Amino acid sequence: MTAIAEHAPPRAHAVGQAIPALLLLPALIWIVAFFLLPLVLMCWRSLAAEGYSFKAYETVFTSPLYTKVMLTTLESASVATVLALVLAYPMAYTLIITSGIRRGLLLMFVFIPYWVDIIVRTFSWLILLGDHGLINALLRNLGIIHAPLPLLYSEFAVLVGMVQILLPLTIVVLFGAMLRIDRTLIAAAKIHGASSWQAFRNVFFPLSLPGVYGAALLVFVLSLGFYVTPALLGSPRQTMIAQTIMVEASELLDWGQASAAGFVLLVITTLIAAIYNRYFSLDRLWGGSDA
Amino acid sequence: MNPTADGIVLGAAATAIVAYLIFPVIVVLAISFSAGNFLEFPPPGLSLRWYRAIAGDPEWISAFMVTLKVGSLTALLATLLGVPAAFALVRHVVPAKALLNALILCALVTPPIVTAISTYLFFVPLGLNNSIGGLACAHAVSGMPFVVINTAASLRSADRNLERAAIIHGAPPLWAIIRITLPIISPGIIIGAILAFVHSAHELLIAMFVLGGVGKPVTVKIWSDVQATSDPTIAAASAILIGLAILTFISVSTAQALARRRNG
Repeated sequence: MTAIAEHAPPRAHAVGQAIPALLLLPALIWIVAFFLLPLVLMCWRSLAAEGYSFKAYETVFTSPLYTKVMLTTLESASVATVLALVLAYPMAYTLIITSGIRRGLLLMFVFIPYWVDIIVRTFSWLILLGDHGLINALLRNLGIIHAPLPLLYSEFAVLVGMVQILLPLTIVVLFGAMLRIDRTLIAAAKIHGASSWQAFRNVFFPLSLPGVYGAALLVFVLSLGFYVTPALLGSPRQTMIAQTIMVEASELLDWGQASAAGFVLLVITTLIAAIYNRYFSLDRLWGGSDA
Repeated sequence: MNPTADGIVLGAAATAIVAYLIFPVIVVLAISFSAGNFLEFPPPGLSLRWYRAIAGDPEWISAFMVTLKVGSLTALLATLLGVPAAFALVRHVVPAKALLNALILCALVTPPIVTAISTYLFFVPLGLNNSIGGLACAHAVSGMPFVVINTAASLRSADRNLERAAIIHGAPPLWAIIRITLPIISPGIIIGAILAFVHSAHELLIAMFVLGGVGKPVTVKIWSDVQATSDPTIAAASAILIGLAILTFISVSTAQALARRRNG
């Protein structure tokens, strides 16, 4: 369709310049007014706390509190990303090799949790992992343990919650990437004598790696901003950056400091998202009807 | 490994992953029907008392109404802004298209806490805090990508010759778009609008800063109750949101099936 528009006669082209501008303008004005302008204001606020200074940024980069929080955030996000990929891969592959009603059912099981509120899903682990929760009760009844395991308020609980939340999107992204792999290549490998494991290991898996890298970048960016899960399931020792920003803003009312930390987080996530967009293009995601 | 062994390993892995994904959802649903006084699983007995508790509590009713209002307004704004943008991006030659695309989508990868504090700082001097409209304006930014992506996908697969035929037969171009193209791509627009609504209904952090005091939406109410109380009312409220998720899945699948049938 666009090919035809590109070859339109010159007169139509001149008119065609004003129309797309008019069509895009409302959306762009909205994004500038309600997204970019607030971010600029936040940046200004981070510098203008006590006169103009970089003091708030100095705190973010040098104080032991922020160093610890940043490291915890990077660590939790990395581990959650790896776990999500390891679990999502076999699921996405299963979706690829099934079809019809079975694929539809599996997709339903992936999508329904995707549309269940993050608080709701986190809150469920609060019940399951507690001292009197299902898992401890089960282990106790089996006689494996006598005192409840301290599962909740730990790094373990945070990861269990985070990975469950990240999995549906990871599966959908990997599935989309795998759909673009030419499956006749696997058939060709098998015709030439490869076992199905060899065909997977030497043909399908290498071809799927770009999709894996893309999913990794995306999931990592999203994990960096997690708030609800670490706040509800983690211990104060595993505080992540979003929680610290929240405390600075809503409890300490130090908006300068909150803005500076927020701006640093924004720069990090935007850089990673830009790399992602450069190689994988953001618009293949969300919606999935293109996949 | 022989093919059946592969299949068994993969099937077991897929089953375990599905269980991991679905189990938390089932737990919340089960507890919402609990007859007991605490959040325990499995529940000691079944009842509808926690749903009645919600129906009889003006605070919860108001929370659901606020979510409904903010969500509908968000979906409306996102559709009005997103559909024209999708037309421009799919059908016209636009300079810096990749950059525009990224700009429309970037709200989805920006950490919610950053959007939340920047929106709050921006809204305070404008007096938009504590207003349903203000929150919808902010939610529309991250709701819009859902509309743009799904409308664009429908537009790409729609047969433009039908619109051309209408124009050849004398229909003004805008009229041809309204009468011919919009109905064809309506499943995509509807999916986008539903997803924008769901996105708004789930959003916590911006909502907490903008509508954190009086007139809380459901997510903010659940969030503050989770930390304060431990009776199954929260589970019942969550179950209603899960119902919303299932409803979303059904409507999106229906819209997609409809689109597929139209495109032959």
